[in-house]
Parts: sequence; structure tokens; C-alpha cells
Amino acid sequence: MALDQAAQARGVRPGQTVAEARGLLPELETRALDAPRIVRRFADFADWHSNASPIVAIPADGAPWGELVLDITGVSHLFGGEAAMLASLVGRLAALGYSVAGGVAATVGAAWALAHFAPGQCLATGAEAETLAALPVEALRLDMAAAGALRQFGLSRIGQLYGRDRRALKARFGVALLTRLDQALGYAEETLTPRQPVAEHSVERRFAEPIGLIEDVLETARDLALALAHRLEAAGLGAQSFHLYVYRVDHQVLTLTVGAARATRDAAHIGRLFSYRAERLGGEYDAGFGIDMIRLAADRLSPLAAVQAGAFGSDDGLASLAGLHDRLSSRLGAAAVLRARLANTYVPEQMVVFEPAGAPMPAAAMPLAPLPEAPRPLRLLPQPEPITVIAEVPDAPPARMIWRRVGYSFVRAAGPERLGAEWQHGRGRLALTLDAIEAAGTPETAARYYREGAETRDYYVAEDAGGRRFWLFRLGLSGFTETPRWFLHGVFA
Amino acid sequence: MPGSRRHRLDALDSLRHTLARLETRPLLAAPVAAPTQLLAPPPGHVHEVCADSPVAAGAALGFALAQAQGLRREGRPGLVIAQLRGEAQELGLPYGAGFAGFGLAPEAVTLIRAETIAELLWALEEALACRAVAAVIAELARPHKALDFTASRRLALRSAASGGSVFLTRYGPERTASAARYRWRVMPRPSRPAPWDARAPGGPRWQITLEKGRLSAAPADAPEGETYLVDWTEHGFVIAAPGGRKRPRSVGGAALPRALPAALGHRLSQAG
Repeated sequence: MALDQAAQARGVRPGQTVAEARGLLPELETRALDAPRIVRRFADFADWHSNASPIVAIPADGAPWGELVLDITGVSHLFGGEAAMLASLVGRLAALGYSVAGGVAATVGAAWALAHFAPGQCLATGAEAETLAALPVEALRLDMAAAGALRQFGLSRIGQLYGRDRRALKARFGVALLTRLDQALGYAEETLTPRQPVAEHSVERRFAEPIGLIEDVLETARDLALALAHRLEAAGLGAQSFHLYVYRVDHQVLTLTVGAARATRDAAHIGRLFSYRAERLGGEYDAGFGIDMIRLAADRLSPLAAVQAGAFGSDDGLASLAGLHDRLSSRLGAAAVLRARLANTYVPEQMVVFEPAGAPMPAAAMPLAPLPEAPRPLRLLPQPEPITVIAEVPDAPPARMIWRRVGYSFVRAAGPERLGAEWQHGRGRLALTLDAIEAAGTPETAARYYREGAETRDYYVAEDAGGRRFWLFRLGLSGFTETPRWFLHGVFA
Repeated sequence: MPGSRRHRLDALDSLRHTLARLETRPLLAAPVAAPTQLLAPPPGHVHEVCADSPVAAGAALGFALAQAQGLRREGRPGLVIAQLRGEAQELGLPYGAGFAGFGLAPEAVTLIRAETIAELLWALEEALACRAVAAVIAELARPHKALDFTASRRLALRSAASGGSVFLTRYGPERTASAARYRWRVMPRPSRPAPWDARAPGGPRWQITLEKGRLSAAPADAPEGETYLVDWTEHGFVIAAPGGRKRPRSVGGAALPRALPAALGHRLSQAG
């Protein structure tokens, strides 16, 4: 719920019912709040403020929109001091038509109190108790009930709480009051959860005049990559992930992220990755009213020694391959550039899993079960396709199949290779015999049991007169299921 | 006039050189080393691998993979298979557990699943530009308008410049114009007999026609359009006699270790 200033001036208060408010003010206009949209826009707004300080947070215990905390430790000198920074940030927003108030203090609680009840001030460290003493108790971020209770006892100023017996305060007003008081005065730690990961190494560029073209953004990214590479080189580091924050003048941040398979600080490589990533943006890119700042940050850092390129280096090609994977996945997406890896199972479609080609290889490979002796096809259909199979006798190799409306007669076949379902990974209950399942009673309870025969597959290799070799399986043992179903799962070379 | 004749000859000669450079093939007179292995093409060319229908997709990929793994060298271990995402169900995905028969570890191959043909072509060129990629296999279930002569010409120039090879697998009887240096037609044939079971299918046997291009400079050695019936074995390609009698013609081919596919790259690096 929110009220504008005109309504507040006429005596409408938060917490009233609509009928009561209409009684006070017949011309009151009510509209539904689109909360998710406001939350989303405010999150963008908060991200955009990271152009002032890298640590921006929306207080977790407050409303999801409306309040913003910036940790300006070590950045205020860029704006010419704390007071100048506050004036510049608040002025910037006021110029855009927001009603905004702010305060600077050494603790989040004290800054909140200043922003709400004495805006525009900068508190020196240690002066919190003195300044806050004159402020009303609501400045302690208490809910309305707690503040009302304090006022009933005649405690209307924060200063009146100083020096009182803490145990009595806690007993009467709850532990929240003491926590808030301690946080405001700096006796208790209050942690912020920054909206964006804090980058140790980042470079940025501000524009006097907003830019709009994606080509200009990418050109800047290449320049920034060069500067970042110098920094990383000086620190002896390489990074595996790079974020490009593009700050629009209208409070939106566009974030582009590219990853590298191995730690790098090659500026040309980083620049190229961003241009490929930008091609994937397509219509998503929208500069709005212009872009006034771009920041490039390096993430997932690891030590990277200087390497000698050229004459005496031995090149096994793996580094070039990793670079290729980076370029491909930045343009096509990480899910489009894959590498196969064997997994510890005999279920054919789970035995080989695809993972992004740039994903780190596990340092110690897991011991794997040996590959099956029986031949495996060169191609596997992503979904086994149902087929019609004619076998001469049950459990005999298939003699004929119809697949995709074409019939194939088999001249040779081998099998079956029986692959049981992996009960150890399933969630069904185990029973030793089918009779035990039937004795369980109702069909619902019986359905929760693992049924040995129903999930078992018998695989056959079958070859037709043309020499095409197929991998097909029958689902379910013939004694356990009414009609066995057949599927085609793969094709041999 | 002798002067003008000399001039004309010079012009012809320079023209021949220009053509050779454009065509990315050696001068007609230049000697070409005889291939050391059966059906082994030199690296750096575009190949088309044609099969009659997508049902034979296994044989087409098998042949392309067999050729591609033979092109791996020290410092050039990369193999790339590119597919369109929409065609995966029709053709089937390459299955890592089946790579062991080709002396490859599942991790050795990078699979690209592109959304559009334009992305696929871009990925092919990008992969070719990488000097660690030995071969790129592009699988296309049907003809695409974007993959025309110009596109294949671009691929040919790229592969000649980098030394990586391209294999385009295609299906159907029609042949479109392309700048591919070699065109192979692969047909699966009834497999060779399995060792202990006469009724079971055995290892792969293909009938391979070299429809375009020559493997050797001397036309008598390997004429265009020759048909081979070969088995794919641990020793590479072997000429198969339909009666089951085999005449191994593989020269100097190292046996592909079946149980330890990952060791192949290592052995190659020592041999090379």
C-alpha cells in the first residue's frame, strides 16, 4: 500500500480500510499495485546504482521496494567527499522527478534514521548516539505496533532509551527493539547482501554524452578489456568469467556475461567473446535514452603465470580448443556446445551425458564401471521410437519391424542383452516376489512397488538385407507385462 | 612472333599458378605423395559424404568419423560434429559409447547443436579457424538453401588455409553443386561374419564410391569413380572380399586400441 503526499496531507493513513479513507476523502482514487512489476523495476533501479558504488543492497527486512542501501566505503572520494556524494546522488534522482531523501552514516540503522527523519545529513563515525537521541523512536526501523507501545510509556525519543535496563526493555518490548538500537548505534553488526557479486577487479568508463550504438558499446568493451588485462597481469591473475554492465540513463542495467573454459586475460579474446555474445542478443538490445557508463568486471579469478608464447613452447592444441569452445558458446549459448562424458550407469541413454564443452573436467576422474562388451551403436535417438515388431516366437530375436511407416526384414540378429532398470536409483519399494506385491492389498499401494519385469529392457542388434544395423529393445519381460512394447533406440555404423 | 609467344606462355604459367592458388590444389605437374593408407585423403579439404537415405545415417557418420580420426595429429586433436537441433531426432545424436570402435574417447569429440543453418555454417568456419581442430563433421538431414556453392567454397578456402578438413554428410540421390574436393558415396552392406555366431551381425562393412576427386596423382592408381568394398576394423580400412576372405591392404596402420581409446592420441603423438 502506498499513499501520495496529497492524500497524506488530508489525513489518510496507511492501515486504514478503503471505506474509512473514502469517508475522510470522497474523491480518493484507488488503484491496484502491480507488486511484481514494481519489485522488478526497483531491482533494476537498484542495480543501476552500482554505477556509484559496487555494493548496493535492498534491505532484506524492509519493503521489497522503496529503500536502497549503498556501501560507500572507499568510493566517496570519487565524488568529492561524502556530503558531495549524497548531494549528487539525491540531486540526480530529484532532477528526474523522484521524491527522494538520503543520509550518510557509519551504520545502516543510523543512515536509515537520518534519511527518514533528518534527511541530507552526514554523520561522523561515533556521533550516532548524540544525533539519534533527538530523533523519534520510529527512526529505529520498528513496526508500528512496537513504536506505539513505546509512545504509550512516554518513550518518544531515542535518547530516552539510552541507559535503561536492557533486560526490562527486552521483557516489555521484545528483542527486536534492542537489536535495532544496537544496529543503529553500531554495537551490533549488520550485514548487507549486495545485489551483484563484488568484483575485485573491474574497470569502468563514463561518458560525457550518452552513447547508443551496440558497436560503440563493443568498442568500449574491447578498450576496457585491454585495461582489465593490464590490471590482471599486474596481479598475476586470470579470470574465467567476465561481466559487462551497461548502465542506461533511465535506470536500467544490461548485463552481458561470457565465460572462458580456462583462466585468461587475453584482451583480444575477451573482446571477441563479447561481440559474439552481443550477436546472440538480437532484438533484446535496447539502449533506451542512451548509455552513460560501462563497467567490465572479472570474476572467478585464479593465479595465471606469464607464459612464453612461440619458439620453445610445446603446444598440445588444448589451449586453442578451449578458446574455440569459449567463442562457440558465447555466440551459440553454452547448451549448444557440448562434450560427452561417461557416467556410472548401464542405462544406455544415461550412460553418456552431455555437458557444456567449457565445463571444468573433474580433477580426479570417478572410477567408472567397465564399458559393456556388447556392441554399442554410433547414433542414439534422443527419444526411443515405438516400432511394430514381429518375432517368430516370444523371446526370439525380431524378424521384421515397421519403423517410420517403412518395413524392414531382418536377416541376422543377435541378443538379447538384458538391461534391468536400476532399482537403487528409483523410488519404488522393493519386494522380493510378485506375490508379495499382490499381497500388499489395494492397487494404489501395489503401484508404489518397484516391478522388476516391467522396466527391464532386452536389447537386440538386428541387420536387414541392405546391411543396415539397428539397435532395438523390448520393454518389459513377456511374463510380466501383457503386451511387450518395442522401441528403436539406435543405429550402428 | 617468338617474343609474344614467350609472353603468352608466361601469362599461361602465371594463370596456372593463380588457378592453383584459387583452387587450393597443387599444380598439375607437382608430384603428390602416394597415400600410405587405404582411402586416406590429404588434410585440408572439403568432403561430401553422401548416403541414399537418413536410414543409412549410421554408415555415413561412421565413414566420416573413420576418416576424421585418421586426420588427428599431434597438436591437432580436435574433432567437431555439428548438427541442427531440429534434426537430432531424425538422425540421432552421436553416441559416445559407440566411439570406442573408432578409437575415440567420448570426450574427444565436441558436439555443436546449432539452431539455424546460418549458425551452423558460422560454427563450422569458426571451428576450422582453430588450428587444433583436425576435422569438422557437419550433419545435414536434408538439403539447405544456405549451404550452396558459395558456402561450400568458403569452407574450402577456410579448410585449405587452416589445414582442417570438413565432412558434410548428405542424404538422398540428388547431388547439388558444391566446391567439395571429394565426394564419397557410402552404402551399408551386409556385415562381415561375426566371429562365433553365424546368425549375428558383425562389424561394419561399407561399399564406398569415390564419385569425385582422386586420392593419388596417377589416374591409374585410383581413378575417379572407383568402388571399394571395405571393412572398418581395428586396423583401419581393409578391403573386404565378399566370400569372407580378406586381403589386408592397409600399410603401416597402427592398430586402434579398442579397450583404451584414450591412448590413441598419445600413440599418435609419439608416432608423429
